[in-house]
Amino acid sequence: MIEISIQKQLQSSEGEMLLDLQVRAERKSLVTLYGKSGAGKTSILRMLAGLMTPDKGRIMVNGSAWFDSERGIDQPPQKRKIGFVFQDYALFPNMTVKDNLIFAGGGDSENIVKDLIELTELKALENRKPGTLSGGQQQRVALARALVQRPEILMLDEPLSALDREMRLKLQHYILDLHREFELTTILVSHDISEILKMSDRIIELDHGKVVREGTPGEVFTSREISGKFQFTGEVIEIKKQDFLYIISILIGKDLVKVIADEKEGSGLQPGDKVLVASKAFNPVIRKIE
Amino acid sequence: MNILPGKIEDLKVSGSLTFLSVDVSGTKFSVVVIDTPETAVYLKKGNDVKVIFKETEVIIGVGSQHQISLQNKLPGRVVSVESGELLCRLSIETQVGIINSIITANAVNKLRLKEGVDVTAMIKTNEMMLSE
Repeated sequence: MIEISIQKQLQSSEGEMLLDLQVRAERKSLVTLYGKSGAGKTSILRMLAGLMTPDKGRIMVNGSAWFDSERGIDQPPQKRKIGFVFQDYALFPNMTVKDNLIFAGGGDSENIVKDLIELTELKALENRKPGTLSGGQQQRVALARALVQRPEILMLDEPLSALDREMRLKLQHYILDLHREFELTTILVSHDISEILKMSDRIIELDHGKVVREGTPGEVFTSREISGKFQFTGEVIEIKKQDFLYIISILIGKDLVKVIADEKEGSGLQPGDKVLVASKAFNPVIRKIE
Repeated sequence: MNILPGKIEDLKVSGSLTFLSVDVSGTKFSVVVIDTPETAVYLKKGNDVKVIFKETEVIIGVGSQHQISLQNKLPGRVVSVESGELLCRLSIETQVGIINSIITANAVNKLRLKEGVDVTAMIKTNEMMLSE
């Protein structure tokens, strides 16, 4: 269990901001920090990692204090059992995949490196240098490297946002497998709602350094705006008028869909508008793709 | 979209589904949603909600007596017909206000729908959405 109860005055692009929050993450759970940029998500990770010092408060991890301003405790980063994966992979370019992992593990890491290479299916690539790998492959190496030291907490700061969708789906799968296999408590920072829904046990939504919503993905993201369960957000690409109707093309993720709209709805829209598309869940048909 | 303000009069939960009766100025609408008072707190007797349905889901019958499975029936009168080549848009004055319906031009011709004709606008229970 991670219990964070901290205050920190931060300089954001919009001026001063007081980060003041209490968050908890159950052991072995995957918790996502969600919110606009500048909300304080990365600062929380940095304070958990010991790379930034809170002004006041406590950080308890599985019963031991990593930080406690009252008791004057502030464990250095190397004493905190964490693994970190960022958007950029930060691998050593002059070392092979395997050597990158061994170097991160220090002595005695042969066995775990072997396990990790197997789990992340990097065997065929283990003697290659990072520069010869695709983005997804490099991120797999970065993920394996984050776990070499057998951390208790894995922190993922938008790890997949530079990857294309297909690669993201694959990496999500690897992350979930490793999260379970290593019994990690994982903190993910992500903006991708489908990713959050797929991965998270809990979501903590932040705004201006405060927790604004918290709960399971269902609780946080089930839009109460409208009851339709077949619901997406997308961007208007094209609007065609035909008689009294509008045919509106909307990009949802990678897919272009078309929606018929009446004059009242269609006339208020412009290409580029973000829209909510909702339908009753009774309408769609489902077909397995062979 | 047709949007009508109403009040939840009754609700029946079964598994993940809730069947609601919503009163819109004296007319009862039946609505079924994949939500329960646990997943959507606004599903509560007496709460104000909006009933929403698309024009293309409004079925038109001539007259007012129909032996039909549709639960939501609104007797009214056609006040305008806008015709396209394939589709037509009808505005129907009912007890709950103007309801718009988009149906095929063929259907409009067959049923001889025009201004002043008495019709019933009908919407399937599972085409009705709710909003707070």
